[in-house]
Amino acid sequence: MNDTRMLAYVETMAALLKLPLDAARTQRVAVNLQRTAAMAALLEAAPLAAHDELAEIFRPAAFLPNNDGRE
Amino acid sequence: MKTIALDAAAMAEAVASGEVSARELLDASLARIESTDGRVNAFTEKTQARARTEADAVDARRAASQPLGPLAGVPYAVKNLFDIEGVVTLAGSIVNRGDPVAASDAFLVRQMQAAGAVLVGGLNMDEYAYGFTTENTHYGPCRNPHDLTCIAGGSSGGSGAAVAAGQVPITLGSDTNGSIRVPASLCGIWGLKPTFGRLSRRGSYPFVHSIDHLGPLADSLAGLALTYDVLQSPDALDPGCQALRVQPIVPLLGRGTAGLRVGVLGGYFHDNASPAAREVVALAAGTLGAHAEVTWPDAALARAAAFIITASEGGSLHLNDLRTRADDFEPLSVDRFIAGALQPVDWYLRAQRFRRVYRDKVNALFRDWDVLLAAATPVSAPAIGTEWLDINGTPQPCRPSLGLLTQPVSFAGCPVVTAPLWPTGTGGLPVGVQLIAAPWREDLVFRAAQVLSDAGVARVQPSQL
Repeated sequence: MNDTRMLAYVETMAALLKLPLDAARTQRVAVNLQRTAAMAALLEAAPLAAHDELAEIFRPAAFLPNNDGRE
Repeated sequence: MKTIALDAAAMAEAVASGEVSARELLDASLARIESTDGRVNAFTEKTQARARTEADAVDARRAASQPLGPLAGVPYAVKNLFDIEGVVTLAGSIVNRGDPVAASDAFLVRQMQAAGAVLVGGLNMDEYAYGFTTENTHYGPCRNPHDLTCIAGGSSGGSGAAVAAGQVPITLGSDTNGSIRVPASLCGIWGLKPTFGRLSRRGSYPFVHSIDHLGPLADSLAGLALTYDVLQSPDALDPGCQALRVQPIVPLLGRGTAGLRVGVLGGYFHDNASPAAREVVALAAGTLGAHAEVTWPDAALARAAAFIITASEGGSLHLNDLRTRADDFEPLSVDRFIAGALQPVDWYLRAQRFRRVYRDKVNALFRDWDVLLAAATPVSAPAIGTEWLDINGTPQPCRPSLGLLTQPVSFAGCPVVTAPLWPTGTGGLPVGVQLIAAPWREDLVFRAAQVLSDAGVARVQPSQL
């Protein structure tokens, strides 16, 4: 994404999140996000299969050691 | 007042034997802090009254022939993101100054108190742990005791500097992407980033829930091991604490490395290491008889994924304050926090999905190896204010690049002891070596570290303050 479009993205997303940014900060944030975009592009190129799940898995409760519910 | 030149483990022995009192150790520690901290700037909070109460309680127990804990009378301090009862948990910020004081100690502080250790204060850090340099704009930069013009590393900079300055023999810190290992490396002390999920994080101010670790730093390997054993305890109330029982390390320290498969990480870890960093890795490898070069899987990708998750979770955590008082944030990191809050969700989800694949590849690597070696930082401590590093002819932005070698390892959750080594050509400044093992195998990295310590290759050197 070129710098102009990144600036526009930062302005739009900040407005959506109700984050007030002045012009100077918008510029600096866009520079940071541009760096992160380069890292995201690296990851985008790494193969992931549909079954590769998230590293963090929600657990509804601790695993019970016995299958009849006994502690 | 006595001058006390003992390391953490020797202090505990001296108190237990009656050679020195806890109060004498405390007075020596407070005097050292008083005489040096104006230059080092490690402490942001001193808890003298509490410390005197804790020290006197230890001395009273000994006088009454009651059993003492394994760290009885040993002074220590904590990064100021740990809750200390009655103290506001700053986490390096001024935003938190208006928070109520902590109602109770952090879980690990309670573990230390139960072991008889004496808390002398809270320590400087990068704001909200987002940094590797502790150039804290609000509280001033933490200075390296071996060269006061240089950084102490971060984000647990005060935790590294306080030990290196001889103010306290033990500190506690946190490590998300390298924040224990970087200051341990740059200050020349021992540090442990345990397995992700080994130690409870309850009562510490979070940075990145998915990657945050807590751990000790110390002036001796014996002190590091004693402290680690004291800190261990399952904690069902920390959703990130996965350890189900204590696995003491001290009884295993002397087992040596005979039969262990020790390798040296090449590729990414070699390419991003300066000559000094390569020198200390070669010295450690020679001592441990490690000759094979090993390739860590997807190191650069792991760093990218850790960077994205860190920015996203960190930005989200502070979004409300970023909306209303961004000007009160650390100028060195506030724009990164905001950029993190604005990241597309696909970047974050892809990074989390990658982490699972990556974890499996790293664990597979440890089917062939027991301990792997890499430098902890690309370079020795840079001067305060440094913007760019030259790493083998490639200019790299200083502040994020200090974590180049630590970030891929913590992202896999592996345990790491950082050993203090002293290369040539750095003006007397140290560079640490990471000893890395498979998750839950802290025993292996401690055994290798003990060999380096016994050989005198890894050691803590007194600072000339």
